Amino acid sequence: MITGTGITKTFKQRGDVLGGRDVRALRGIDFAIEKGGAVSFIGESGCGKTTLGRIIAGLESWDSGEIVIDGTPMSSLRPRRRQPYFRKIQLIHQDPYSALNPTRTIYQTLQAPLALRARQAGRPKSWIGERAEELLSLVGIDPGYVLGRYPHQLSGGMRQRVVIARALTVDPEMLVADESVSMIDVSMRLSILALLKDLRERLGVSVLFITHDIATARYIGAEGELYVLYRGQVVERGLTESIITGPVHPYTQSLLSAIPVLHGLEQPGPERVVPTEALDERHADEGCLFARRCPFRTERCEKERPALVRGVEVAHERACFHPQRRSVIPVEAVA
Amino acid sequence: MTTNFPQAESAAVSPLVAAPGHATAPGVRVKDLTVVYRTPLGELPAVGGVSLTIEPGTITGIVGESGSGKSTLALSLLNAVQPPGRIKGGSVEIDGLGDVVKLGGDELRQARGRHLGYVFQAAQNSLNPLKTVGKQLLDLGRSHGVDDLRALVRDAKDLLERMGLDGARVLDSHQHELSGGMRQRVGIMLALVLNAQLVILDEPTTALDMITQATILRIVREVHKERGLTTLMVTHDIGVAAEVTDRLAVMYGGRVVEHGPTMEVLGAPSHPYTRGLIRAIPRLSGDIAEAQALPGRPPTLGTLPTAGCVFRERCPLRMDICETVDPRPLTHDRRTVACHAVERSHSTAEQEEYA
Repeated sequence: MITGTGITKTFKQRGDVLGGRDVRALRGIDFAIEKGGAVSFIGESGCGKTTLGRIIAGLESWDSGEIVIDGTPMSSLRPRRRQPYFRKIQLIHQDPYSALNPTRTIYQTLQAPLALRARQAGRPKSWIGERAEELLSLVGIDPGYVLGRYPHQLSGGMRQRVVIARALTVDPEMLVADESVSMIDVSMRLSILALLKDLRERLGVSVLFITHDIATARYIGAEGELYVLYRGQVVERGLTESIITGPVHPYTQSLLSAIPVLHGLEQPGPERVVPTEALDERHADEGCLFARRCPFRTERCEKERPALVRGVEVAHERACFHPQRRSVIPVEAVA
Repeated sequence: MTTNFPQAESAAVSPLVAAPGHATAPGVRVKDLTVVYRTPLGELPAVGGVSLTIEPGTITGIVGESGSGKSTLALSLLNAVQPPGRIKGGSVEIDGLGDVVKLGGDELRQARGRHLGYVFQAAQNSLNPLKTVGKQLLDLGRSHGVDDLRALVRDAKDLLERMGLDGARVLDSHQHELSGGMRQRVGIMLALVLNAQLVILDEPTTALDMITQATILRIVREVHKERGLTTLMVTHDIGVAAEVTDRLAVMYGGRVVEHGPTMEVLGAPSHPYTRGLIRAIPRLSGDIAEAQALPGRPPTLGTLPTAGCVFRERCPLRMDICETVDPRPLTHDRRTVACHAVERSHSTAEQEEYA
């Protein structure tokens, strides 16, 4: 339903303390998200995943490249005419505490977009209340309990469900969830992930899940696709399960190695990869972008940039000159 | 990366009173600690009668969700609970300091920093944005009457370099010039530079990226071992605690519901809350369908039941007795658990042994 080719974005920085460096947030990214599909973008902060998510949700412009929504290239339209296309794609904010207006009840929050919908479709006023209740039930909360309440009276998990219900008021075809569970208590995180999965299965809504935690990406859908982003480039792409069980890019391997091991239940993977340096945006732009931190770099990596191509060793794509499967994820402990 | 974590060599460490400078890892004994917050509904307990012994030389994790009382408990160890909260009862005995609940004024101020190092939640925001790290270090030294400030700067530089940073550059930097992981390391340096032997880290890796988190956790483990500390780590992320700690205390609704060696608590959790929490962690391996969220939500100060077990609303093992009687923490095989159902299963098991 939405595809992008060669998307680039550079943020210009004015001359401040850091000396006016331009930040290349996206360096030519291709993506495709099908109707009802589940796609996850993962990477460290600054990798471009949030920028890309915002571009896809129509909240940010891009410098070059083409985005096609339902067969219509966005470059053929003036920005104002793009709106109906991007309205099908709704962003769910990271922080359920600041995403809701504290002076409005949950009913008022849902009523505004629903009233607009009702006017457009010529529905009676009574439809608004019915639809609000329907949406809240859909996201798993009791409408009778929340409709008259203010956001501060609800828990983080409930607020996040309200945010999702609000996104659903415009009948979107796709939800963009940017770190949607990172601020929710651990015991309830899975229920929000399960809700997104459920909405996808029941309503056929595509889900774009943006996170730094690969483990949560697994829960959005088994047949989901994973994009590993690094400094504005996709370095590994394929089925989520295929990448988790057989990562070949050293950066993906570093991310997977960094996930805490539940000692007592698990043992660390035998070939954990640790980057040789910390992330530094000032690292050279030549060659492989990960080369400076890569324990396996060769001379070639410092001169040439590897392209994202399908590998022979695994059934997914990777951008690396020396791809090799390594066993990095924790293995079940033997009792 | 080495992943063997040091088991506590508590037997070798003397719990004697130690002078700052050549101190040994102190032990901590919290007894019946109750901390209340004043609210329009009256005084409500954030920590309700907690007893917890922290062995010298261990890394202990305190795990809990928001509102479990974990941060309040950690602040109590410094006697730093801010109004509207106050420590209502109980004691916190720390080797070399005595009962910190009874300390006040200058004594308390000196104890913080010299004996107790605290790395604040979001160390990112706990630095002064107007001063360089070095200036803040000197402020710290002066307020604690350090004579040799040069030596202090040297120690700070060594510590930063030990943690993989360019010490001189960091000391000359303002906080906005440092990344999240660097600021966290500055926080750890400031907590350790006065030779504190008891270090409390409050959510040390929240808001950090995965790889940075792994680096910080490795540093915590290494520094703990090298300097012979007693470390307490407060976190909502059981995975983070699992990675570094050797003992784990699980908090819920202001109580410690389970406490024991990390490997055992994770490998065979006893309390139904601990079991549910572990089942709710998204994992990289295993059957996805097995992972499940805990039903319901954690209590807040206002919704905390006044009688009976605090966890019963979400508990699959709920019994009649849970409505009225708060389960006592009972120790069994190095594990302390506060649960009627677990208590009952132990007592039936024992009866069977003698049958």
